[in-house]
Amino acid sequence: MQRVIGESKRSFVTGNEAAAWACMAAGADIMFGYPITPQNEIMHYWTRIAPQFEREFLQTEDELSAGFTVCGAVQSGKKAFTATAGPGNVLMQEPFGMAEAMRLPIVGIIQQRGGPSSGTVIYSQQEVTLTTFGGNGEGHRIVYSTATHQEIYDYIVKGFNVAWKHRFPVFILGDGYQAKMREPLEMYDPQDKGIEMVEPYPLLGLGGKIGTDREPSHLCNIYSLEEELYEVVLKFAAEYEALAPQIIEYEERECDQSDIIILAHGVVSRAADDAVKALRAQGIKAGYFRPITLRPFPQQQLRDAIARSGAKKMLIAESAYGQFDRLVKQEIYGETISIENLFMPGVGIIENDIINKVKSIL
Amino acid sequence: MSLFRIALAGEGGQGVQSIAEILAEAAYNENKQAIYIPNFGLEQRGGVSIAFLQFSERRIGAPKFQKADIVIALSSRAVERTLTYSGEETLYVYDSSFKLGPEELPEQAKQIIDLPAIETANNKLHPRVFNIIIMGAVIGLSNVVSFEAAKEALEHKLAYKFEKDPKLRELNYKALEIGKEMGEKALKEGVV
Repeated sequence: MQRVIGESKRSFVTGNEAAAWACMAAGADIMFGYPITPQNEIMHYWTRIAPQFEREFLQTEDELSAGFTVCGAVQSGKKAFTATAGPGNVLMQEPFGMAEAMRLPIVGIIQQRGGPSSGTVIYSQQEVTLTTFGGNGEGHRIVYSTATHQEIYDYIVKGFNVAWKHRFPVFILGDGYQAKMREPLEMYDPQDKGIEMVEPYPLLGLGGKIGTDREPSHLCNIYSLEEELYEVVLKFAAEYEALAPQIIEYEERECDQSDIIILAHGVVSRAADDAVKALRAQGIKAGYFRPITLRPFPQQQLRDAIARSGAKKMLIAESAYGQFDRLVKQEIYGETISIENLFMPGVGIIENDIINKVKSIL
Repeated sequence: MSLFRIALAGEGGQGVQSIAEILAEAAYNENKQAIYIPNFGLEQRGGVSIAFLQFSERRIGAPKFQKADIVIALSSRAVERTLTYSGEETLYVYDSSFKLGPEELPEQAKQIIDLPAIETANNKLHPRVFNIIIMGAVIGLSNVVSFEAAKEALEHKLAYKFEKDPKLRELNYKALEIGKEMGEKALKEGVV
């Protein structure tokens, strides 16, 4: 592995810069992209540093094309990625769906902005439904929702490995705040942390005779028989479900013996964490649960936390009008805990918003 | 130091984002936790530019906030735009070059301060270091970073300009110093 960072170093940079460096350190060969705020600087930084490390970049004519070129590059054995947001994420759902169908190890970084349509260029958590289940498929993809620059870096490094090891598309779900703010993080070369990067390999044009030397490499996104598609989707579903326990990640704090569990993901979880600390200090028994993987979802872990807590209420806080809420509800179907929500679509949530809401419902 | 929040607002070109970045970097270099986020996007084109800064000894939560410990507004439009960030504990600072009636100032503030930063820059130094005076004032009012750390971060940010014209270094340091004194004096006098 080519060293990019050298001795691991603390940096004070934007989330977009952290993302570009993480892709570089993870050994990405090429980025395909089309400009859109608030992810533009991922492209800017990548194009600035790529030539120093003999990596490549192609700006395509639109997001559809950027998504499909990533799909093409990984088939030729290149570690490839893209980054987008908002309406760009909408356009990319077609290639992302193809990546699901063909089990392509693509990596996409999504910096959510406000919607619908062009909306704002600033911030939201309104791309949860799109990023988890946006394609015309079954959502067989892995989605990490990050909360800090360190996580953007760590989960991009991990994301490339997960994609190339298990052959499911991987998405890093950030947002405009994380993209644009500056905060400290540690950048490192993966090998210095004992992380072995999975080498990319071609999926097509392989040597040997099919049938005698190797199995056919059957990458298909179109079927003439319904039954054929049916079998493939069932196979992928079984593989995805079997893999899920290895992939699922979450954070849980203070849920045992709590009166209320606060659920948040991404950058909002920072406020939720602070809110729980403040509420506990005031004698209010609040717990904190945060899925890091939105797909696959830590549903058993959340069910266990609810059972252990004895809480009667759960508060779901998000910068969208119920996208995360719907995801949680479908995952924990059958639980009888009452669910309240704090929906603030397109704007930030701070700890006081959560504290006030908790006090109003307890 | 517990959590300290600053909102800096001005017209595009006044250099608000530059000094926010330098202040955040200075705090980071002093091993403090710092978050800096600009308002960005369409609003910034022809609108008011705002920088949100937070400093702390421990991990900082949400990147934005509702009430600041210090608000600095550098134009009358910036005042209008930042009233919402002023609460009962806020030091509200604006430039004395524009006159405001009491109804235009925030209803809630611990102290309202007007600083002659634009005038000082124009008459004593150079209009281009206006924002550095403001940066000094932030330090004088809050001590979020040490004067030395601010100087170092300033040097780091402007090294290429200082190299071309060493006189600029002197000018910037002077502006920082004057701003700091201005901030300290205002705090002591408690002008309302």
